Amino acid sequence: MNDSLHAQGARFRLPRPLHPLAWASWLAAIVMLLTLTRNPLYLGMTLGAIALVRWRWVSAADEAEQVLSLSPWRFGLIVVTTAAIFNMAMVRVGMTVIFTLPAWIPLFGGAWTLEALLYGALNGLALTGLFAGFTVINRVVPVRALLRLIPRAFYPVAVVISIAVTFAPTTLQQIQQIREAQAVRGHRLRGVRSWLPLAVPLLEGGLERSLQLAEAMVARGFASGSERTERWPQLLVLAGFATVVVGWLLQLVWKQPMWGGGLLVVGAATLLFGLWRAGRHHPHTVYRPEVWRTRDWLVTAGALLVMAAYLLPVFDRNTIFYYPYPALSWPGFDWRIGMAMLGLLTPALG
Amino acid sequence: MIRLEHLTYTYPGAASPALSNISLDLPDGQLILLIGPSGAGKSTLLRCLNGLAPHFSGGAISGVVRVNGYDPVAATPRVLSQHVGFVFQDPEAQFVTDRVEDEIAFALENAAMAPAAMRVRVEETLDLLDLTPLRDRPLKQLSGGERQRVAIAAALALRPSILVLDEPTSQLDPKSAEDVLNALVRLNHDLGLTVILAEHRLERVLPYVDSIIYLPDDGSPVIFDDARAVMKQVELTPPLVTVGKRLGWQPLPLTIKEGLRFSRPWLTEQRQRDSVRPRHRHRFVRTGAPYLQARRVKVRYGAQEVLRGVDLEVWPGEIVVLMGRNGAGKTTLLRSLVGLVRPQAGDIYVNGRPNKEREVADICRQVGYLPQDPNTLLFAESVGKELEVTLRNHGVERGNWRLEISDQETEQFSDSVSGVNLQSPITQAPAFPITSLLKRLNLLDKADAYPRDLSVGERQRVALAAITVTQPGALLLDEPTRGLDYAAKRTLEQLLHGWRNDGMAILVVTHDVELAAAIADRVILMSQGEIIAEGEPSEVMATSPLFAPQIAKLFPETGWLTADDVSGVK
Repeated sequence: MNDSLHAQGARFRLPRPLHPLAWASWLAAIVMLLTLTRNPLYLGMTLGAIALVRWRWVSAADEAEQVLSLSPWRFGLIVVTTAAIFNMAMVRVGMTVIFTLPAWIPLFGGAWTLEALLYGALNGLALTGLFAGFTVINRVVPVRALLRLIPRAFYPVAVVISIAVTFAPTTLQQIQQIREAQAVRGHRLRGVRSWLPLAVPLLEGGLERSLQLAEAMVARGFASGSERTERWPQLLVLAGFATVVVGWLLQLVWKQPMWGGGLLVVGAATLLFGLWRAGRHHPHTVYRPEVWRTRDWLVTAGALLVMAAYLLPVFDRNTIFYYPYPALSWPGFDWRIGMAMLGLLTPALG
Repeated sequence: MIRLEHLTYTYPGAASPALSNISLDLPDGQLILLIGPSGAGKSTLLRCLNGLAPHFSGGAISGVVRVNGYDPVAATPRVLSQHVGFVFQDPEAQFVTDRVEDEIAFALENAAMAPAAMRVRVEETLDLLDLTPLRDRPLKQLSGGERQRVAIAAALALRPSILVLDEPTSQLDPKSAEDVLNALVRLNHDLGLTVILAEHRLERVLPYVDSIIYLPDDGSPVIFDDARAVMKQVELTPPLVTVGKRLGWQPLPLTIKEGLRFSRPWLTEQRQRDSVRPRHRHRFVRTGAPYLQARRVKVRYGAQEVLRGVDLEVWPGEIVVLMGRNGAGKTTLLRSLVGLVRPQAGDIYVNGRPNKEREVADICRQVGYLPQDPNTLLFAESVGKELEVTLRNHGVERGNWRLEISDQETEQFSDSVSGVNLQSPITQAPAFPITSLLKRLNLLDKADAYPRDLSVGERQRVALAAITVTQPGALLLDEPTRGLDYAAKRTLEQLLHGWRNDGMAILVVTHDVELAAAIADRVILMSQGEIIAEGEPSEVMATSPLFAPQIAKLFPETGWLTADDVSGVK
């Protein structure tokens, strides 16, 4: 079965990989857009861009492999319908009444309006876009690549996370195995206590596997702590973090922008220096580090352009905040923002 | 160069040492096989070579260990990782990352090798084990043999001069196991890498091995010598060597090619004297109806057809062995017989009753099913409790657990197995004699032991006890010889024969050709979801290149399959 899937994958030529940071900026732009705007025109453009990027990057083989997980289409269908119905049932505002239920029915009684339906559906669309954006990232950026963005000082943490990522699916598989093995022994699942026979082999098995893995890592020269540890870089990190928090509080809560800003800068510098020092005590190198190419610049620039168009007060920002109440109206559209949004398409190029 | 002097090692909290007073001098560049009964401390010995014992496991160590001039105890496993590569039993349990290349690079990243040098090193290591076509593949997409080759490559990334492997093929099917062994032989021949390998499948490795370490479990001194010399002295021998010893062949043959030089003239001589007798066959008459019956069973997972209309019948009192390559649908067939897989088409009957609309738990009262990993079955705090839990699951009342029984009742027990009375309601079920079952499985003195502390063979027998305590009429076993040594295999064979003679219907899925030769009354070969051959073991197995046992290769056209068939001639 695998072979046929690979054959399909080979026919469908995927673009050359992008740097994980470039993908991160793309995702940031998507998230920002979808949280800010409810303008159906902008929403539609964003969803279209995501769909195009997804079509370009997620091959049919990848798609088929994910038998269990939800496809964005199905997710969208469910979320948009439920959000629309829920919003209609909850919100009584709006001029265009579709139908009216008798007022004595709790919760559902009253006028159901087209405006509420539309606004609910728009919220559902935004959620669908977020989901689809994350599924794209999930498929195209390997976990390893994301982990490499973790600073060197936290190398042991990165290793632990990378193991956890591979550990979770195995554990799920094991739960299934154990459940079957217990059914074979006449075990029927009833009540909480009947789960005990599943827990013991699972925990024991999990523990055994972790010990085995730890042993294998030691045998391959992995050491969680370095031989000569120095305390002060760690203290530096801690102090830097504390200073940043205090500076932030000063700025926001006690309205001391000068002092706060100063502390923020000093704290951040201390933090970075501490991380750098601590990192030097975990000598390790990276195999085939991700290369930053021209296309990565392009994607990042595209994402920044979109964010700038939305956040900076240059263009007509009123078109972003579309609100259908009290009566339906045509959403506004600034063609310059629309043009800027084409920046979201940059990952689909090449 | 490895030197051990009076090495004694005790695990923390253990009463007696796992290794006591071991002295060895192992030369460079050899392929060395480590054998011994399970529980003799093979794994522990291997872990002393790179300092995992005592650094990882704790415990007390005395004596001298020198590996390439280093003392693993003083130098720590981190330093030794540059000299000793270590590969574990289960390929899955040793992976840190999820891609082939990353897995190989892991040790190099830890050693802070410069990226340019690392690039070259990973490339070389991929070539060394023929992994270049798989370099970008996720590990979970690989077969067992490919995974184990990745594990070997990962262990070799730091270019150690010694490679240590702890039963690397025990979790693999024969084809994958052969791939791994071939890779090891090539590394040894081409690079002069010292390979130290603990392994139970002697019949596979013996042809390639230079010398053998025999680690006994009874306190007698450890033996290290040339492979042939050690084979002469020990009991743990593959069928070829067993026959060679019985017939006094000198020098003792280790490969089929060497064996044929003796067996051909010997067989001619026997034929002239007309003393070649066919193998002893277990006589069995099919009576009544088949206990297990599958009719045109079809199973598909997604677009993939796993079973394409399989017909199968297993009668009480016979052992049927189901063989075939990986992915032939053997395990799926077993699982559908107990209801873990529901076929899309076709019918399955257990003792005449259709499986449809019966719960797995209900079917398993009549059919004992031992999955590949018996550990998943065990969870109680003692062996005795395991059996009680099964009985309670099946709703058998406490009053019916007969813990102490007389010999007379033991006989009744064996009778009741053959004629399971299903019409009688559960409350009137025959006494379930826990003690006699434990006695039969040779576990009586382990009744209070914690099941997970036992050896692989014992754990398997506990699992067997836990599924047969309801006295099922049929028994299904999936790959029962994984990780078993010859002694444990022999015990299993005897157990299955005993149950068979009591009238159980037994169906075994296995890759182990020698086990099939020893126990099968009937052999079924499957391929691509279909049954392609069925019949007498001597007919089905003797001519198949993949499934012929050593003895069948040695004495063609005699119908013999096991060492005991041959000695029957005398």
